[in-house]
Amino acid sequence: MGLADLLNLLASAVLLAGIYTAMSIGMTVIYGVMKMVNLAHAGFMMLGAYFAYEVSQRTPIHPLLAAVLAAPLFFLLGVAVYWSMLRRVPVADEPTLPSLLLLFGLWLVLQNIGYAIWGADDRSILTPLTMATFRFGAITIPIIRLIVFGIALLSLVSLHVFLTRTWFGRAVRALTQNREAGQLAGIDTRRMAMLAFGLGIAFTGLAGALLATLYSFTPDFGGSFMLRAFVIIVLGGLESFSGVAIGAIIVALIETFSILVVPASYQLAISFILLVVALLVLPGGIEGLLQRRRLLQ
Amino acid sequence: MNAIASPCSATNRLPAGVAALTLMALLLVPHVGLPGNVIRLLLVTLLWVATSLAWNLLGGVAGQVSFGFAVFYGLGAYAAAFAINGGIHPYVAFAVGGLVATLGSILIGIPTFRLRGPYFAIATIGVNEAVRIVMSNLEITGGASGYRLLMTGRFSQGEHYYTALGMATLAFLASWYVMRSPFGLALRAIREDQDAAADLGVHPFRCKLTVHALSACLTGMAGGAFARYVAYIHPDGVFSFATSISILLMSVIGGLGTLPGPVIGAVVYSIVQEEMAVNFPQFHLLLYGALLILIVLFEPGGLVGLAKRIARGVRGRLTGGPGEPTAARVPLPKVES
Amino acid sequence: MTKVRCRGPWASVLRLLIFSVALALALTGPWWTAMAAAQAGGCPDAIRVGLVFPMTGREGRPGTYQVEGIKLAMEQINANGGVNVKACGKRLPFKEILYDDQSDQGRSVQLTERTMSSDDVVAVIGGYSTVLGEAESVVADRYQVPWITPGAAASAIFTQGRQWVFGTLTPVDVLGYTTMKFLGSLVDQGKLEKGVKIALVVENTDHGKDYVEGVTRWIKEHPGSFTVTFNESFQLGGTDFSGLLQRVKAANADILLSDAHLQDYITMHRQYTQMGLSHRMVSYGARGPEEPARKALGRAADYIFAGTWWEKGLPYKQVSAFVQAYKKKYDRDPDSFYPATAYDSVRVLAAAVEAAGSLDRTAVRDALRKGRLTDSLLPGQVLEFQKNGQVMAPFVIVQNKPGDKVDFVYPEDTKTGEVVTKIPR
Repeated sequence: MGLADLLNLLASAVLLAGIYTAMSIGMTVIYGVMKMVNLAHAGFMMLGAYFAYEVSQRTPIHPLLAAVLAAPLFFLLGVAVYWSMLRRVPVADEPTLPSLLLLFGLWLVLQNIGYAIWGADDRSILTPLTMATFRFGAITIPIIRLIVFGIALLSLVSLHVFLTRTWFGRAVRALTQNREAGQLAGIDTRRMAMLAFGLGIAFTGLAGALLATLYSFTPDFGGSFMLRAFVIIVLGGLESFSGVAIGAIIVALIETFSILVVPASYQLAISFILLVVALLVLPGGIEGLLQRRRLLQ
Repeated sequence: MNAIASPCSATNRLPAGVAALTLMALLLVPHVGLPGNVIRLLLVTLLWVATSLAWNLLGGVAGQVSFGFAVFYGLGAYAAAFAINGGIHPYVAFAVGGLVATLGSILIGIPTFRLRGPYFAIATIGVNEAVRIVMSNLEITGGASGYRLLMTGRFSQGEHYYTALGMATLAFLASWYVMRSPFGLALRAIREDQDAAADLGVHPFRCKLTVHALSACLTGMAGGAFARYVAYIHPDGVFSFATSISILLMSVIGGLGTLPGPVIGAVVYSIVQEEMAVNFPQFHLLLYGALLILIVLFEPGGLVGLAKRIARGVRGRLTGGPGEPTAARVPLPKVES
Repeated sequence: MTKVRCRGPWASVLRLLIFSVALALALTGPWWTAMAAAQAGGCPDAIRVGLVFPMTGREGRPGTYQVEGIKLAMEQINANGGVNVKACGKRLPFKEILYDDQSDQGRSVQLTERTMSSDDVVAVIGGYSTVLGEAESVVADRYQVPWITPGAAASAIFTQGRQWVFGTLTPVDVLGYTTMKFLGSLVDQGKLEKGVKIALVVENTDHGKDYVEGVTRWIKEHPGSFTVTFNESFQLGGTDFSGLLQRVKAANADILLSDAHLQDYITMHRQYTQMGLSHRMVSYGARGPEEPARKALGRAADYIFAGTWWEKGLPYKQVSAFVQAYKKKYDRDPDSFYPATAYDSVRVLAAAVEAAGSLDRTAVRDALRKGRLTDSLLPGQVLEFQKNGQVMAPFVIVQNKPGDKVDFVYPEDTKTGEVVTKIPR
């Protein structure tokens, strides 16, 4: 395989990392503040996908724009879900089984809603952008994946800004690091949890809508993405927000380049084996490693 | 005497009488002329009871919540299927299944038990999925075509039923014994506070590996019995994430860490879910999901917790007073060790 | 520890047991009444047929379409008075009992067993997709109920010496073989050169494996006509095929033969187009002209050819009648082959019941074995089961043409247009 091919693979991997980042941010936010693994992640992604589909079919709004619009709507949805169900689940410093059970149940409910409204048909969104590519010498870049990458990057940046520059954001970080201390400092954990969940679902809905422009989907959508998201957030460090990007790029690179050494059908297994190895070698994820080094300095 | 060890505490309250009665009733099932479909449902439920009790020992009593337990179910299924096709007697093949699962549990446990809390749970997912994908590609076990068992002899539903009943009984007795023994105490200590337990002389790593092996063995055997019953297995069926979650859910629905809990949970999962799917084909996902949500919102201790609450309430009224102090609600089952 | 007598509290556990038993009884209540009803009286008031299909989950879409085909057939037959059952002295309508196995193999087996043992059915139709089909087929012989699958084509199901299984799909390896036969015919006609290079990229399932087996078998029988320069399988549900497609590019083949599920077909072909890959001819096995694919791929789907069990443009009277009736009932065109093979499975069952003259399962099974539908929707218009229970109808090769058109290009007698052997760029 020539240099041009390898560069193309690298470009694909980077763009894939963007996709993976987008779909994992939501889960990280929720885990960081509430210490809950959102098992309904796939369900909200599915709703985001159908939202983009419906909006792009019924209005002249472009699906990518619809994806951005999805964020505030899903924020409200997340807040509503929290207020009606999750706030009754006691919070703890570790994921509790009741919360997992609740979110899993919620996932089933969301799936059924999907089937009831849209049926089992495969849907997809085709726009002139879908197949368009941008040629950069010998490297071909699909424009739509580039845009998805851009939006993912923007989300991550805006999240970073939110976390460092706003009061809410700093409260989120405080609670992520140490809930009790945060409470002592006067942060209303309930309200923060509600906002954090809303924020997490906003990102998840956005991700689902973005992915709808790339892949076809049914109400079953999202399951395999969710499992990959686990791998990514653990690699990045469960409570680290910038770690998500690191985890995403590692998984994307390994998945893409592993094709050179293993048969294509084992590609997915690589990610999971990587996960286990990483957990053993780097319990805090990559971010934990970096933090330790920072502390040692 | 500390409360946990008291013979009157939750797990010890189950009198031998009730368990024995149930067992006798179940033994008679194939002979009272029940429709074949009911026997089938009970058969499958019993296999789930065995698996659920096994998982509960690890996840409920020892507090090591594994999200990837289907890996042992699948390993047992494939190992037993392989053995049966190789001419080995089915009951021996089940033991082979259990053995392979046990070996797997040691291989998996040694690295993963160093992890705590959510990291352990996620590692188990990783292992489960990795094994599933590898098995989908391995030609020797059929790969993505699945694996067919060569069926010899006539099909006797009764025999499969008794096998399943035997597995469930074995798992039940094992659970009962463990929960009443000092080993069970050690496991609970590990669940509550692993470091404190270590300070008190418990060996967490060794205990975790042991209970993991026991649970895996029971689950592997149940997987073997399942394989023999359905005569065709596929990695996406026996190694699926959905199966792992189901195994976990059964204990949580019923009451994590208790003895009747996994049994009840398996019954709910098997029978209730099937009935819902059959009677409400458009809405069964929604109903089952809503059931889970309601259980969590109103009784995180599962159905056993619900029963205890009812019992406390009734007893309170009978004795004309608040009776036992209405202590904190059922302790939260934690994911951490 | 001294033995302490525990008082009282076992009431809570007893309560719990009572609750569970009551719950179980309450929920299984419908059975008991159904059982009682079924056992009363000799001739039932309908011909009960169990249906076990995935309506949700990964295979939910094709499963739903197959059920639609079945319901249409039953509706039409019932509207004409039903099936004449001599032993009952009257015509009886069909009654379907539908179960959703959620694309889960374990549930599929459970529900098939349930319907065969307690629903008093004369036959069961089910098993969309090979894995579910394989699982269900075990149960047919066990309970001795005829089982017909319009959705599982793996020959493995029919080579186990089973006596109660039937399938209205021709084996998948014949699909691979026919595809090569078609390409071979193009070489004979001078439209393709000898020694043309082929890249095989198939899904990692029984379907994919059988397809490759058929392809390689033909190539072995005709040495020198084609060379395979790439042969790899991929896991279902991929998010990114760039690596694989890069290697396909490096293999420098002229023809790409892939075999994939719809979602992977869409994902892969989108990336294929984005990466600027091109081959003279491209096929995704049985996938190609489906509407969701057309919608997802737009012009990129043009000129893709597919080998399929059935396509709605077949020039038979019964096919256009079927398509019209389907459109009227479901407000869209039949998708791929799913509803058609299912529709015919009901018709062949009706014919068998009539030929058997009774609802006795063994008689119906024997009648199915001898049955022969001469106005079948399938290519060749004849549906009859071979000794092992599977049909062997010919495949048709179709090619997408611009403007959402589809041309039949093989065999000669179904041709509606010329094949394009070099996709224009």
